[in-house]
Amino acid sequence: MMLTLSTAAAGTGGGNLLLQAATAIFLLINIGALVVMILSATSIVQAPALKRSLHVQGRAAKHFLIYEVMIIGAIVMLMPFYWMLVTAFKDGQTSSASPPVWTPSRMKTLAPSPETGTMVPVVTLGTRTDTESLVRVVPEEAFTFQRVEEGGVSLTREVPDLERVFMADPSTFEIRSSIDVDLKNFRRAWYRPEASSRGQVSFLNYFMVSIVTSSLSTAGALLTSALAAFAFARLIFVGKTVLFYVILATMMVPGQVLLIPNFLILSKLGWLDTYLALVVPWLASVFTIFLMRQFFMTIPEDLWDAARIDGASRFRFLWQIVVPLSKPVFITAGIFDFLNNWNSLLWPLIVTSTPSMRTLMVGLQNLNDDAGTEFHILMAASCFAILPVVIVFFFLQRFFIEGIARTGLK
Amino acid sequence: MTSAQNRKIRESVEAYFYLLPAMTILTIFWFLPIIVSLAMSFGNITALKPLEEMRFVGLQQYRDALANPAFRQTLWNTINYVIYSVPPTLILALSAAMLLNSQIKGRGFFRTVYFLPYVTTWVAIAIVFKYLFHREYGLGNWLLGVLTVDILGSDHALRLDWLSEPRGIWEMAIIQPLFGDRVSPMWFGFENLLRGPSLSLFCIVITSVWRDIGYFMVIFLAGLQNIDRSLYEAASIDGANGWQKFRTITFPLLSPVTFFLLVISMIGAFKVFVPQFMMTPTGGPDNTTTPIVMYLYEQGFTGEWKLSFAASVAYILTLIILFLTLVQNQLFGKRVEYGQ
Repeated sequence: MMLTLSTAAAGTGGGNLLLQAATAIFLLINIGALVVMILSATSIVQAPALKRSLHVQGRAAKHFLIYEVMIIGAIVMLMPFYWMLVTAFKDGQTSSASPPVWTPSRMKTLAPSPETGTMVPVVTLGTRTDTESLVRVVPEEAFTFQRVEEGGVSLTREVPDLERVFMADPSTFEIRSSIDVDLKNFRRAWYRPEASSRGQVSFLNYFMVSIVTSSLSTAGALLTSALAAFAFARLIFVGKTVLFYVILATMMVPGQVLLIPNFLILSKLGWLDTYLALVVPWLASVFTIFLMRQFFMTIPEDLWDAARIDGASRFRFLWQIVVPLSKPVFITAGIFDFLNNWNSLLWPLIVTSTPSMRTLMVGLQNLNDDAGTEFHILMAASCFAILPVVIVFFFLQRFFIEGIARTGLK
Repeated sequence: MTSAQNRKIRESVEAYFYLLPAMTILTIFWFLPIIVSLAMSFGNITALKPLEEMRFVGLQQYRDALANPAFRQTLWNTINYVIYSVPPTLILALSAAMLLNSQIKGRGFFRTVYFLPYVTTWVAIAIVFKYLFHREYGLGNWLLGVLTVDILGSDHALRLDWLSEPRGIWEMAIIQPLFGDRVSPMWFGFENLLRGPSLSLFCIVITSVWRDIGYFMVIFLAGLQNIDRSLYEAASIDGANGWQKFRTITFPLLSPVTFFLLVISMIGAFKVFVPQFMMTPTGGPDNTTTPIVMYLYEQGFTGEWKLSFAASVAYILTLIILFLTLVQNQLFGKRVEYGQ
C-alpha cells in the first residue's frame, strides 16, 4: 500500500524533487516504525536498558502504523462521497476532464501568482460563456488596490465590458470552466426539463412517493409486529410453537420467491400502480417480529404482575409499560424497515409503471439510463438520494450501530 | 370446565387478536405466496398466455432452466460474485475491527466513516462507482495512468475497460501476459475457473466490498469487545506473541460471530441484484455479470413474462440458500460450540 502511494506521488510529481524527498521520508518513517515494532515484539535485542526503551517505542510505532492504515482506509471510504459531492458542482466539461479536477475552481480562491509564485487570491472577472469563466490571477497588492478603488467587498465581481478587456490583453487571463455555485446541476437533476416532455415527473414526486410509502409501511410494520411479538413473548396459546417455526422458516426463504405470486395477487386486487401495492405487503415484517420478541422476553415478569395488581389489562401493559421500555428496539427496527423500503428497487420496479407512482430509487434508476455519461447530473441526483439517509444516520447513529451489533450477535 | 382451562382459552383468544393484523398480512403476502410460487413452478404459466392453455408440466421448468446456457451463466456469475466478495469483505472487516479494538483514540470517528457506505443507498452508490470505473472520465483509469506513466510513457498509459471488459481477471493478470493465447487448449476443462470473474464483475465485487466492510466491522467489533481481556493478559504472561493470541484466543472465541456473518453474507450475496442491474443494465460484457435475481426479473417481468419459469428460478435460488445453511451448519456447527 505504501509503495503504491509513493509511486503515485512520484508519478504526479514527475521531476518534483520536493515531492520525491517527501515520499522518501514517508517510506523511511514507515520502515523505521515497522522495524521498531518487530524488534520490540521479538527477543532479538537482549540488553535490558535498550529492551525497555524499545518496549515504549514499539508501542508508539504500532499506534503510528495503526493510525496510518486506518486513515488510508478512511480516505478510501470517503473518497467516492467527496467525488460525488464535488462533481455535483461541476459542469459537463469539468466532470469529464482529464486529469481530474479535484476542487471546483471557484471554491479554490487561492492560486500561485504568475509574477511572484506566492499564493494570491483569484478574482473571477465574470462569465464569458455558459461553461467558461474568465479568471485573472492577481497579486495581492493589485487585489487590495482594486478593492479600495471599486469599493467592492466580494472576490467575485462582474466586469461589464469583459470581452473588450479580454481582447486587449488575453495573456493576463486564464479561462476556467465555471462552477455551479448556484446548484444548477441539482436543479436540472431535480426537475429534468428534458424528461418532463416525455411525461416523466420531477424528483419531488419521486421523493413524496418514497417518503409516504416508506413511512406508512414502517409505522404499520412496527405496530403489527409489536402486537404479534407481544403475543409470542408473553402469552401462551394453542399453536404457538408451530406458528413460531413457520415464521422462522419464512425468514430463510429469499424474498424473490414472493415476487411472482404477489404480483399476481396485486393485479387481481387491482392494486398495481397504486400506493397500496407499495405499502400493504410491507405492513408486517417477520424480522421485526423476531427482533421485538427477543427484546420483550427480557422484560421481567414482575412488571406484569405489578401492573395486573394495579388492575391494568394486557393491552394497557403492552402500551404503557412494554412499548416505552422497548424504545431502542423500536428505533432499530424502524430504521431497518424504513431503509429496506426506501432502498428497495426491484419491488417498486415490478408493481408500478406510471412515472407518478415511481419511488426515488426507480427515479434514480431511470435517470441512470437516460443521462448516460452526464455524470455531473447523475452525481447531483445521487447526492439528494443519499443525503436524507446520511442525515438520519448522523442523528440516530447509536441506534444503527447498537442495533446491528445486537442483531448480529443475537 | 375448570377456571384454569377457561383462563387458558381466554388467553389464547386474546393472543389471536394480537396476532391477527400481522398474520393476515403475512398469510396473504408471505406464507401463501411461498406455496403458490412452488405450485406455479410446476406449471407453464406466462402472463401473456390465456388461462386455458395452462397445465401441469412437472419438473420441466427446472430442467429447462438448468439446461439453459444463459441460466448457467448467471448461476456461475453469482457463484463468482459470492466467492470473490464474501471472503475479502470478512477478512478486511475483521482486520479493521481488530485495529479499532486496540485502544486507539478516534475509534468512534473511524467507525462512523467505515460504516457510512453501508447506510447510503445501493442505487446511488452504484451510479457513483459506475462513474469511477468509466473508461474515459473515471478516476480508475486516471489512477492507473498515474501509476504506470513512468514505466510505460505517457503515450502508452495503461487503460482498462473496467465495466465493459469481458476477460477474466486471472486471464488478464496472469495467463495472457505469461502464455499469450497459446494456452487456450490447456484449460484442462477448468476454463471458467482459471479465467476468474470478468473484470466487469470484479468492479462490482470491489464496490460491494467497499460498501459492506463497515457493516461487518461493527459486528466483529462488538464480538471482539465481548472477549474477556484477562485472557489476553494471561497469554501475555505465558509469553504468547500477537499471532498466537489471535490463533488461540481471538479466532476461536470469535468463531460464532464469524460463522453467523459467513452465512448471512453468503445468503445476501446470492440474492444480489441492484449493483449489477445499475452498473451493467444489459448484463455486462458477454453476459458476465447478470446474477440469478436479475435473470429472474428479466424472464418473469419483461419480454415473454414467463412466470412459471421465473418461479422455478426463484426456487433453485431457495434450494441453494437452504443447502448452504445446512452445509455450513454441518461443517462449522461443532467448531462454533467450542467458543462457548
